[in-house]
Amino acid sequence: MTDKKKIVYLQTSGIDTPERLYAPFILATTAAAMGQEPIVYFFIKGVTAVKKGEAEKIRIGEFPRLSEVIDQAVQAGVKLMVCEQSCMLLGLDRGDFIESAQVVGAATLNDLVLDADAVISL
Amino acid sequence: MTIGLQPDLTLDARDLFCPSPVLKAAEQMDKLAPGQVLRVLANDPAAEEDVKRWAKRAGHTLLEFAKEGRQLTFLVRKG
Repeated sequence: MTDKKKIVYLQTSGIDTPERLYAPFILATTAAAMGQEPIVYFFIKGVTAVKKGEAEKIRIGEFPRLSEVIDQAVQAGVKLMVCEQSCMLLGLDRGDFIESAQVVGAATLNDLVLDADAVISL
Repeated sequence: MTIGLQPDLTLDARDLFCPSPVLKAAEQMDKLAPGQVLRVLANDPAAEEDVKRWAKRAGHTLLEFAKEGRQLTFLVRKG
């Protein structure tokens, strides 16, 4: 097999635009199935999607509940990273993220992007 | 876990949030000569990954890392 490629999905839209929340998980799960190394990084409004309890409330059309799509991604090996400082920007309480999301910050995003083979912003 | 090595300089970045621990660590690192060691104390959960990645990217070496509850301690040798 060829070397794994790193793909960073940068999720900046949040629960106020639920139709934009499926793509990062579906793409990342597919990338994992393709033998690649996907990471979804949540920042700005994107952090609202990984606050505990929020994904359970989202379901669009015939798509499964968002929480199921997230669980599937995590099981496939997709890494989730969250910029906690975005909470401050949005006036939200810190923390209280789903357990599969790792709290990281600005240095990590820069480093990920420099290392990545591709970056997709959503 | 106890960190045994004696640092040349210590930065207390506790209660500071991203990106301050990294920015202040970079500032303090400027005061050291290559081979000297900076100790960074932090409790922002983001600092765990951020300080490690900053150190590597900036050409320094993470000698030791300890995590006790929320308390993070890094020993970084200047590159």
